[in-house]
Amino acid sequence: MNHKDMEQKLRREARALLEQGKVGCIIGFEAGSLKFTTTPLITSEPDATSRLVINPFIVNNLSVFLTEVKGRVGVVVKGCDSRSLVSLMQDNKVARDDVVILGIPCSGIIDLGKVEKLVGKDRDEIDDINRDGDRVVVTVDGSKKEFPISEVLFDNCLGCEFPTPQEYDILLGEPTLPPSDKYQAASLARIKQLKDMPATQRWEFWKSEFDRCIRCYACRNICPACFCQRCFVEESEPTWVLPVPRWQDNLMFQVIRNIHVAGRCTDCGECERACPVNIPLRSLTREMYNLVDELFHYKSGMDKDASPFLAAYEATDTEDFIR
Amino acid sequence: MTSTKKINKKDVAKLLGQWSQEFTVFVPSRDEGVARWARWDGKDAGFLDWYRNTVVPPKAIFLPPMEKMFGFQKDGKDYHLELPASDKPKWLIFGVRPCDAKALAILDMTFSDAYEDPYYLAKRKQGVLIGLGCTNPYDSCFCTSLDSSPTDPTNVDLMLTDIGDEFLAEAITDKGKELIAKTGLAQTATKADEARAKKVKQAASSKVARKIDTRGIGEKLLSCFEDKDYWEKIAAKCISCGICTFLCPTCYCFDINDELVRNRGGRFRSWDSCSFPIYTKMPMENPRLEKWRRLRQKVCHKYEFYPMNFGVIACTGCGRCIRLCPVNWDIAQTLAHLPQPQLKLEK
Repeated sequence: MNHKDMEQKLRREARALLEQGKVGCIIGFEAGSLKFTTTPLITSEPDATSRLVINPFIVNNLSVFLTEVKGRVGVVVKGCDSRSLVSLMQDNKVARDDVVILGIPCSGIIDLGKVEKLVGKDRDEIDDINRDGDRVVVTVDGSKKEFPISEVLFDNCLGCEFPTPQEYDILLGEPTLPPSDKYQAASLARIKQLKDMPATQRWEFWKSEFDRCIRCYACRNICPACFCQRCFVEESEPTWVLPVPRWQDNLMFQVIRNIHVAGRCTDCGECERACPVNIPLRSLTREMYNLVDELFHYKSGMDKDASPFLAAYEATDTEDFIR
Repeated sequence: MTSTKKINKKDVAKLLGQWSQEFTVFVPSRDEGVARWARWDGKDAGFLDWYRNTVVPPKAIFLPPMEKMFGFQKDGKDYHLELPASDKPKWLIFGVRPCDAKALAILDMTFSDAYEDPYYLAKRKQGVLIGLGCTNPYDSCFCTSLDSSPTDPTNVDLMLTDIGDEFLAEAITDKGKELIAKTGLAQTATKADEARAKKVKQAASSKVARKIDTRGIGEKLLSCFEDKDYWEKIAAKCISCGICTFLCPTCYCFDINDELVRNRGGRFRSWDSCSFPIYTKMPMENPRLEKWRRLRQKVCHKYEFYPMNFGVIACTGCGRCIRLCPVNWDIAQTLAHLPQPQLKLEK
């Protein structure tokens, strides 16, 4: 099913859920105030459901709002978002009965930063961006340019393992297959580049990246897995990390955050997208995601009844201390 | 013949070279993949090809994200202070946009009000601003709604306007006059140059498509201050991160922290944000625990409280908070849909 058909179905279903009183509010996407953007729509008004959209720009992982809203909620999720939602259920942050999950079989989200680089224009200078199967057509100054999706989709979308939601009540289209294996290399290119560096060079790289961090905490606040009421960075007795944006403190913050979301992170890529100073945070989170998979054969947010990764152990675990 | 000068674009690198003799020169740079202010590398003026505005505003030069106020050493019960060096570097910022220059003038009011902030003011007094008018404003810009324009020369020392192969250069302050008099690179502008600059300025203003209505905005905000439903509704999608405040050219809140490691330490000040719940956390309570209260504070501070205190709206329409917001929260929409006052108070 294409986006328009899914969108129509979503609007009907969302309206019905609100009108029949099955949910008190719907969390979806509506058109943003700027070209090629969308914005979260959180509404209890049935008429507002006509503003819901599904398009290749629905970037946000809306499960982040579930720990805030009260009552029964209808929430729109892509594959990765559904796993974040399942992960929240595993951690008892969201009850299954409190959500009606409207699932989007996702074919990948367009990374506007990549498009801007490819055409050498800013988002607002681009006339049109259209997805056409495995290609994306960008119109600038009246002329069309075509790019393969490998150059235009977010890195995490290219490496997506489960584009169809894992847990849903209403699936808005036919299940989709993950992107072909040929895109895996592009998805992990930056991580490979970092791994190929000598350790000293890699250290210098991260030092310079974290020197730019302004500690706005957008990476933490946009992340559904970062649900702590009190984050360790805000503790003052004792102080773990000063709120002063020195590269050392910034790096410590991010490393600890990454460990805290191990087994919860679903590689939705929101931390990296939200970062206003372009720190390649996904190079850390995706590497952790892969490590958790390799070492513990665990994939986040796949089974709502499974123990949370960091709270589970088995007698067959490699480490001795557990026995 | 007029007294206005012009500078060939090809000579900008030479000009920056001259100024580098006397100043530390900052220019827009995206060497690290994000547009920020950086020390000029002494090479060229390649930024002129891509520069529209920086992600991190020039505020960061005068009020850095982090600043060591002083160091100290603990000696028994005594502390010995190590004050920062008193010789302040001379800075020249090349290419400041009018919105950001106006923002610095707004920050000056706070930092030289009841208490004169030596850290900020020392840098400002030593700093020279070379303005560069916008010819291609973003779709998120709305400076023309805030008593300014993409080519407003008010708050800089020297204002440049793009007239094709050259920049028209208008000296605004004595510093600006001195700079333009000293360089041998400026030529006298003709009447035709000035006419072209006028056209460019008009065209730039007409490109700012986004508008907000600021008439009576303070009173409107005052009347809907208690409208919890409205603020809750507009704050629902906010994730309470610090992007809109940290990268706002007029937001100035800071936090102060001491660090002591083995008898040596330092006092640091760093950006803080009213978006964070911890910002107003006190021992017994937090008056802005809910995010709608924090978001309301941000909007009211800019459009109601700052005008009450200093007579100017603390927003210059640079649009950063809109284009950098990870959930596309849009202050213009919030202001446009403020609820109408429901009751009139009896006298």
